[in-house]
Parts: sequence; structure tokens; C-alpha cells
Amino acid sequence: MINKKIFTLALFISGVALISNQVLYAAGKLNVVATTTALADIANEVAQDKIHAYAIASPKQNIHHYAPTPKDVLKVKKADVLIHEGLDLEAWRQPLLDAAGNTRFLGEGQSSIDVSRGIPLLEVPTSLSRAGGDIHAFGNPHYISDPENAKIIATNIAEGLARIAPENADFFMKNAEAFNRKMDEKIKTWKARLVRFSGAPIITYHRSWSYFAKEFGLQIVGEIEPKPGIPPTAKHLAEIIQLIREKKVTVIIKEPFEDTQAPKKIAKETGAQVVTLSQAVGEPKSAKDYLSLMDQNVSLLQEAFERAGGKSNG
Amino acid sequence: MRLHQWLFSLLLFLFVSTQAQAADPQIEILKNNMAQLQQSMQSLRNNMSDLKMTVENQNEVIRQQSIQIAGLRNERGTAAQPSQSGVAALPSGIQKAVGGFNPDIAVVGTTQAKLTQNKSDADGNNAITLKELELNFSQVVDPFSRMDAVISFNDSLETQNANIEEAYYTRWGLPFGFTGQIGKFRADIGKENLLHAHQLETVDYPFVIRDFFGDEGLASSGLRLKNEIPNPWDLPLEISGEILRGNNGNSFSGISRTPIFDTHLKSFFQTTDDTNLELGLTTMFGDENPPLRVLNGDGTFTDITRSQGTDRFGVKIFGGDATFNWFLPEGKKVVCQNELYFQNRTDLVHLNDDPWGFYSLVDYKFSEKFSTGVRFDYLNPLDVGGGHGTTSVSPYFIFWQSEFADMKLQYTHTVPAGGEKTDNSAFFVVDFMIGAHKHAVQ
Repeated sequence: MINKKIFTLALFISGVALISNQVLYAAGKLNVVATTTALADIANEVAQDKIHAYAIASPKQNIHHYAPTPKDVLKVKKADVLIHEGLDLEAWRQPLLDAAGNTRFLGEGQSSIDVSRGIPLLEVPTSLSRAGGDIHAFGNPHYISDPENAKIIATNIAEGLARIAPENADFFMKNAEAFNRKMDEKIKTWKARLVRFSGAPIITYHRSWSYFAKEFGLQIVGEIEPKPGIPPTAKHLAEIIQLIREKKVTVIIKEPFEDTQAPKKIAKETGAQVVTLSQAVGEPKSAKDYLSLMDQNVSLLQEAFERAGGKSNG
Repeated sequence: MRLHQWLFSLLLFLFVSTQAQAADPQIEILKNNMAQLQQSMQSLRNNMSDLKMTVENQNEVIRQQSIQIAGLRNERGTAAQPSQSGVAALPSGIQKAVGGFNPDIAVVGTTQAKLTQNKSDADGNNAITLKELELNFSQVVDPFSRMDAVISFNDSLETQNANIEEAYYTRWGLPFGFTGQIGKFRADIGKENLLHAHQLETVDYPFVIRDFFGDEGLASSGLRLKNEIPNPWDLPLEISGEILRGNNGNSFSGISRTPIFDTHLKSFFQTTDDTNLELGLTTMFGDENPPLRVLNGDGTFTDITRSQGTDRFGVKIFGGDATFNWFLPEGKKVVCQNELYFQNRTDLVHLNDDPWGFYSLVDYKFSEKFSTGVRFDYLNPLDVGGGHGTTSVSPYFIFWQSEFADMKLQYTHTVPAGGEKTDNSAFFVVDFMIGAHKHAVQ
């Protein structure tokens, strides 16, 4: 008798839970899962109230080494659309898709939007060997650091969403165009602020600022990592210090999740300024969207150059 | 004077009129020129747009060709293939170019040097051994499923052999959102049992796992179904259920035809922006071991038989796991992981009818290159009755040379149950990996 009551109660709770869950997800919005906070933000710009966007990777963590959580698995399982940066930026993407088992994303289905399409890639390797470190087989995947590429990303997202929800195609395309116009205006401002430092040599921690440097005319002369993904050795740091002195480098760029000790040590030896820039919306918290993120990056870089005494050469 | 004024005014009027007449055609010409300029500008804009599109298309072509070249190099075996088993990730044509239809292949080696006070000539004691060499294959089978296989080779002196550690087929999209797996796999119980040896922070599995399921944990052939339990709070509640072949003789019957049933419920809480907590519950049911003849201290034998009617599902194992992750700035991280198992056995097949054990592990990754931690083990073992249990403390240090090679140094101080001699051991383990290898999401 007691067992029967328990069974009935369990059945009732399961039923209520199931129905509530379905109601929550039946509001007519597309459930969009983006691999990064920057993509989620651009998707929100493009689709606005037509989507629920969820960003997987924490903005505080290295995008290459993020470990998906059970919450991410659940979100991907329930998602209608997956937006990702493609190439091999998110090495964890495939295991996450395997764990979620959402058949919408199997095969080259239209529910997956790869925003790297049409991006002019830099540093496509001519040979593949791990002797070169953790190299990216398809080219440098950190293209989101270039605001020009954000425009291509917005267009890709709009086109991708238009395929999935054709009834809102015009809405998505118009919003993407509006976003791109805003970006055009901001890019002019950012370029004007950094034009004084055009040609200046810089050092980066990881090879993740190539696109940014190209866009703003900066010259990356070396990385703190001896090879991509390989932590710096004492010998390499000595070489970098030598290089900084030779090339008169004044600014070192690192990301928030990267080690501070090595850049600080180099800065102490050479007098170069260490500046922490980010490619993730939400890190720092004040970077609440892609535009403010880039605004902050440009401001911090400008300040670092100015502290270092203006343009070092070039 | 007035006449002069009139004449001057007349002349001025005539001049202005003439100029105005002359200006009209010039304005027209200017207007025409402006219109032509505007047309030219528009034409230039169109040309620019066309050129931009051409450049973008050319870039895409170059990109595709670069990838095809890389793929061809791979086929010729001149370079390692990048890990791209993905089916959904890449633009059209890329996968074909890079990986073809070959599966991702990886080789993972684990070499161990061990110094111990243990005087027995057991394998690995005071020796450097190739502990394990794993050959990993994985690839999607078709648009609905994938296959994963791990073949391990060991260099043990007594049992040098090849072993199918895992080989299973995953089918997604079953009714009601279930995912099914069939084949041989590591049982989805707790946290560490799911991991391969090279994925562990420590050089070995915790005592409780080794005692209850064997040195390498529980892996068996069977069927697994898993799904998320829907709930109104959008809380991750993953449930998995398995039916495994019962050939694990440590805790269970060891008889293939008497299966082990297990379930694992996992939940996850994002406690703050930088911390999260994962909780799990495990239940296992299986049959008792068959009757045993045990040699007593005085040279006589005791036959241990089951009580009538209590052998079916005579072994019940319950477990809980809790893992707390704390992400610190600059890629630093603290993990506190705990697992507890206890058994409820109906028969006295083993000397201990109430075995239980737990471990607590704290790991601190304090730089990109280094992490350190300690594991504390307590075990009330299956085969030691009465007295205190086994306790062990294992501090360790890891050097992460790269994503593909690491070195572990560990010291283990063990006070065994049953009054055996205390043991101190030191381990040095090197893990190395080549090829395309990705770990499943835990």
C-alpha cells in the first residue's frame, strides 16, 4: 500500500516536472548555444528577442582548455542551434556534442553555424607536426580579436539563423547590417586612437593577437610561449628579453587566464608595459558586449603605449 | 552727375545680366559633371564590392586548398593528423580533405618507476616498467552513431598481454532522447572509475576502487542507457543505467551469466561565477561470489557456502561522489574530489561483510606547468575482517610539459589493514601521447 502511494507520488512529480519543462521551452524562441560569450553577444545583436542565447565557455578560462560541464551538456542537448568558431579553436566541442547526443548537430546539418566561413585566415600551417607545439591545422583560430571579422561573424550568424528560421530572415539580416554599420563607425574611432602606434613592435603571450595586430598595424615580433601551447622556459624568456631590447618593444599583451609571472619578469628586466586584453565578452565584467570589449582593449593598449612613452619605432 | 549715375547703373545692369546669362550654361555643365561623378562613384563602389567579393571567394578557395594540401600530406604520412573527428564542426569538404574516412588514432604510453619497502618481487616493485600502452581509435560511424575503442598493451612480466580496455558503439537520438552504448566500457560509477589511468592526477586508482573492482577499476561488456531527467528548474540531472557482464570477481560473483546492474545519477550546481559543485549517487546490484574453500591458519579448510535464498543480488554497493571546482585567476584551479562506497553483502563470502571506503583528493594547479595535490584513502577491505582499515596518504607533484606529455612524482605512505607492515613507496610516472586524442566529457 505504501509502495503504491510512493509510486503514485513519484509519477505525479515526474509528470509535473516534465510538463513544466516543456512549457519553459515552448515560448517560441530558438534555443541558441554559442561556444563563446563573444559569439553569444553577436548572436543576441543579430536575433535579439527571437532567441535564448547561452554561452558555453567561461570568459575567464582559456578557450582551448575549457572543460564542458554537465550544464553545458544539458544546454546543447536542448539547443535548436549551435554557433561555434570552427577550425579547431574549441577542441572540446566534439566531445561535448558526443555527450549531448543532439542529433540536430550531427553531420553538416544547418542547425550548426560555423562562423569562420569567409574569414581570411592567417598562419595556415604548411606542415603539421606537434614539434611545432599545439598548432592549429586550419590556421590561426583567434580571428575574433579583429573587429572586421566580427562583421563577417554577424553576417554568418544572420545567414545561418535565416536558414533555420526563414520567417525572420529579413529581421536577422537587417540587424546584422546595423551591427556592421556600428562596427564600421567604431573601427574608424579605434584606428584613429591607435594610428600613432602603427608599426610598433609588440610581444604577445600566445599567438592569439595576430588578427588584431594586422588590423591595427602592430607588429608582433615574438611570443612568450616558445611554441603555441608550450609553457615558457627560462631559456626562451632570456631570448625574449634579448629580442625586446633589440627591437625596442614597449608593450607585452597577455590574456586574463595567462600566467602573470613570466610577463612581469620580462617587464622588470626590460621596462616594457604588460597589458591584459581579452577576447571574451564578460571578462572583465565591464566588457558587457563585443563593442565595449574592443573599446576596452583599444583603451588599455593605447594607455600602455602612452605609459611606455608613445610610439617606440616604426 | 545724375547722367553719369544713370549710365553707370545701366552698364552695371547689362554686365550682371550678361554674366548671369553666361553662368546658366556653366551651372548646367557643373550639374552634369556632378551627375557623371556620382555615377562614376557608384560604379567604383560596385567595382569595389565586386572586387571584395572576389577576394573573399579567392581567400575561401586558398583556405580550402591549404586544408586539402594538409590533408594530402597527412595521407602521405608526413604529418600528424589534427584531431578533427567532428561531424558538425567543419565547413563542407574540410573533413574529407583532412581526415578522409580514417578514424582518429592516438597512442598513449605510461611508464612507471617505483621504489617501495615492499619486499615481494611483485611486478613493478623497485623497477622501471612500461605500465601501459594504449591504442585509441574513434570515429563517427554514420549520421547517428560513433565508435570508440581502446586497446591496451602491458609489459607485466607475468601477464604480458593485449587487452580490450574499451570498445563500444554509441547510438544517439533514441526515443525520448536516450543515448545508448553497447560493447565494453568503463562503468559509469563515481568519478575516477570512468577515467583511464593516464587521466588520473595520481599514479594509481584510489584504494577503494582497486579493492572493490580491481587495479584498473570496473570495465566490462554490457549495455548503457543515459538521459537527462527533465525538471522545471533546468537543473542538469543525468541518469545512466548499465547492465554489465558479471565477470568482476572482486566484489561480485565473477560469473558472466549473472549480470551487474548499476545506475549513476549526476547533478551539477554553478555555485558562483568561479566555483561549481558536482554531486553523484551510485547504486550497484550483483550476485555474490560462488562458494569458496578458505585455508585457515592451522592448515585446515573452511567451506564458505551461501545461505539459501540470499545469493540473488546478494551484493549491493552504494556510493556517493562530490567534486568541487574552484577556478582562480591566471588559469589556476583547485579541485576537491571525494568518493565514498559501501557494500551491503548478504553472505560471508569475503571475510568482511561490511566493507567500505572513501578517498578525498585535493588538487591545486598553481601554474600552467605545475600542479600539486594530495589524496587520502581509507578502506575497510573486502578480505580483512575486524581491526582498523587501510589508511594511506599520497602527496604528488605534476609537471605538465605540454598538452601531450606530463610527469608525475608521488609518494605514498600506507598503513595496511590487518596489522601488516607499513609501506612507503615513491613513484615517477611519465605519460606521453601522439595522434588525435580527446577525452570524453565527464
